Amino acid sequence: MSLYEAPATTTGHLALPTDKTHSRSGSSYSGNYSFINMYDCPSPGSSHAVDPTVESELEELHLTEELNSAKRLGEVAEVDEGDEGDGQGQGQGQGQEADEDSSVKESDTSDSKDGTIVGSDTSGTNAGSQVSATMVGSSSVLSLARNSNISVSTRTSSIPFDPTSSILDISDQAVHDQVLKSNFDRYGFKKPSSEGSNGVSGERYNTWFKDYSRYLERNKKKWQALMKNNGLGEAESRTKPPNRFPPKSDKVKKLIRKGIPAEWRGNAWFFYAGGHEKLNKHTGVYEQIVRDTEGVHNKDTEVIERDLNRTFPDNIYFNKSLETKHLKDSQLNSSAGKEETQSIKSLRRVLVAFAHYQPHIGYCQSLNFLAGLLLLFMREERCFWMLVILTERIIPKVHSANLEGVHIDQGVLMLCIKEYIPQLWGILGKNFEGETLSEDKILTRLPPVTLVTSSWFMSVFVGNLPIETTLRVWDILWYEGSKSIFRISLTICKMCLEDTAFNSRGNVGSGAEIDQIELFQFMQNYPKTIIDPNILIDNCFKKIGGYGFGSLSQDEINKCREFVGKQRARLTSKKQSVMKAEMSDEERRALQSSGFDGEIHDVYGFHRSIMSGVAWNKNISNRMKKKWKK
Amino acid sequence: MYDTFDEQYAATIGIDFLSKTMYLEDNKTIRLQLWDTAGQERFRSLIPSYIRDSHVAVICYDITSKKSFDNLTNWINDVKLERGDEVIIVIVGNKSDLGNKRQVTQEECDELVKKVGAKFALETSTKANHNVKLLFKKIASCLPDFNEVEERNEPETIDVNIEQSENTSSCC
Repeated sequence: MSLYEAPATTTGHLALPTDKTHSRSGSSYSGNYSFINMYDCPSPGSSHAVDPTVESELEELHLTEELNSAKRLGEVAEVDEGDEGDGQGQGQGQGQEADEDSSVKESDTSDSKDGTIVGSDTSGTNAGSQVSATMVGSSSVLSLARNSNISVSTRTSSIPFDPTSSILDISDQAVHDQVLKSNFDRYGFKKPSSEGSNGVSGERYNTWFKDYSRYLERNKKKWQALMKNNGLGEAESRTKPPNRFPPKSDKVKKLIRKGIPAEWRGNAWFFYAGGHEKLNKHTGVYEQIVRDTEGVHNKDTEVIERDLNRTFPDNIYFNKSLETKHLKDSQLNSSAGKEETQSIKSLRRVLVAFAHYQPHIGYCQSLNFLAGLLLLFMREERCFWMLVILTERIIPKVHSANLEGVHIDQGVLMLCIKEYIPQLWGILGKNFEGETLSEDKILTRLPPVTLVTSSWFMSVFVGNLPIETTLRVWDILWYEGSKSIFRISLTICKMCLEDTAFNSRGNVGSGAEIDQIELFQFMQNYPKTIIDPNILIDNCFKKIGGYGFGSLSQDEINKCREFVGKQRARLTSKKQSVMKAEMSDEERRALQSSGFDGEIHDVYGFHRSIMSGVAWNKNISNRMKKKWKK
Repeated sequence: MYDTFDEQYAATIGIDFLSKTMYLEDNKTIRLQLWDTAGQERFRSLIPSYIRDSHVAVICYDITSKKSFDNLTNWINDVKLERGDEVIIVIVGNKSDLGNKRQVTQEECDELVKKVGAKFALETSTKANHNVKLLFKKIASCLPDFNEVEERNEPETIDVNIEQSENTSSCC
């Protein structure tokens, strides 16, 4: 019991009314609920103990996949996950999984409920020994669960592998108010402090949040209507996150750009990214890899270990010391013996498994942020496959050992800026000495600004944009693909350009006088100030009153990628042959200094250079039509 | 940078840029620009394009990790390849507050300084704020005199963090 008392007081910030917990609970839950109530009002996500999503696993559509994965997860979970026992218990209590496949449940129905409470008094500290214990009896599974940790065990106590649950549903007024009062947002991230990192103060955050949550409420109604129109169960979308979504269409795309309700995000991302298909094709693979890679030590795992605690240190699910911070002396927290959260453990397994599954990538810093954010919205097996989809299909080679994809995509982005924001290119298309870069140099020696923009691609804006804005971009990313990263990047660049601070710093137009470093720093910090996602999204897509970057097509990006890739390969091989060829130093130097200008013969054109007139005319004619109608 | 040490510091992806103005005793002001790069080896391919503009390279290792010390030569070679002998190399042994876990002696480091022709080496603790100011002062005093052309000559520093273990992230 004592274990639970501390969190009850420390995590009061996002506390939920306990009566709510009861109101939704079925009688079969009683055991688990007392478990939850022991925390009194614990950290974010406790609400979700009430909202088990395991049942959604048995959608007819993905019945086999889900069933299998449930089975697998059940097994993996027992070995690896403290919370597993609990989840199993609840699943059974619900009778949902049990009906479909009794083997999933193993034998711990009754054990789990009792165990939850009983076990809590006999916690051990050695996770290792407990893990082995789990194999022996299910009651020890539960003692492990209890031991697992404070904040996260409450959050995942029902369904450890499916933290669609970690997102607070702010349509509940009480929850909404709790979030307002709390130091943490609904995702468990620490709100900007009053000291104002990047000029965003806690107050400004709350002012925005009040408005924005009204927006979200209206938006969710639109989603519910859309679901209904598509014959996707109303009941389903009200009580738990839907697992199926309407097929892609212009209407859906529009709504996606307006934002997916946070509680549905994990499932929607997975659905539209083609996660189900991927998972169906690879049933059991993740589980197997996790087993194979358990306890493995190599170069990748070394770096992973180092990065685990540097992933979202400002998120309560990833950094346990956050919640005890105001209780105990900060000295206590600085000690090395920090307990790991469940999310950190999941993160480790996902990253290690990924490095094993994609050996040409291995582990690349920034994958930790991608996986970390996914884990806030989905269980780890799904998170794993989403990472695979991202690195295979959406931004290929970006995380590969030589980061070739970074070079290519940055080259593409620079060409895009040159094409679409020429005024900005006049400023950025230079090295720090103010020397204008020729096209071949863009491709081999990227301009300094790419040091800022490459992290936008590698971590897909995680840590660059504020969290809510990042999530809105991710909504679009999983639905529309990599062009969204380019479109959003261009939008940020253009917003920078239009910012008065940028103008005063850059003294736009006066060429050589521009202090590249100042601009560089400005562009690095600017995205963090875009706390209102709607401004970014509207700027990006609106044709009138925005920049209309929605017209940049995937086809253009793909062709551009191919072009840049080929040019890079050609220039690199030329460079190498220059170095290898037998010639005097003088000759070589002359050849090198002549550069590779004129090497780019391919006619490469953005659609716009051919089509821009057409698009413009279309736009004008549409407006004329509207006028005539009036 | 800001005389603080942040326990909760997210890993650097790509690059972090900071700039700071320092006031030296003789009324000289110098603006330091620090580039903090991701520690993983593959990120090195992103570095050369800006490394060439810097005047000073501060290359850090962890005194409690022999491996990080052994890797120093790689980084130094990288810097020299780009900048030749024009660049001032400074070697910094971080985490001096963890003396009891030391794996690299000061002598070993001094030897390396001589071997690679670094300007100097210093042990610091960003966590205990030990020697951090001194480091920047020493760097500043090594720089050539820019009086003639005043502000235009801002030294740029590359801060290459090698093998940073958890919780060693620094805000100098």
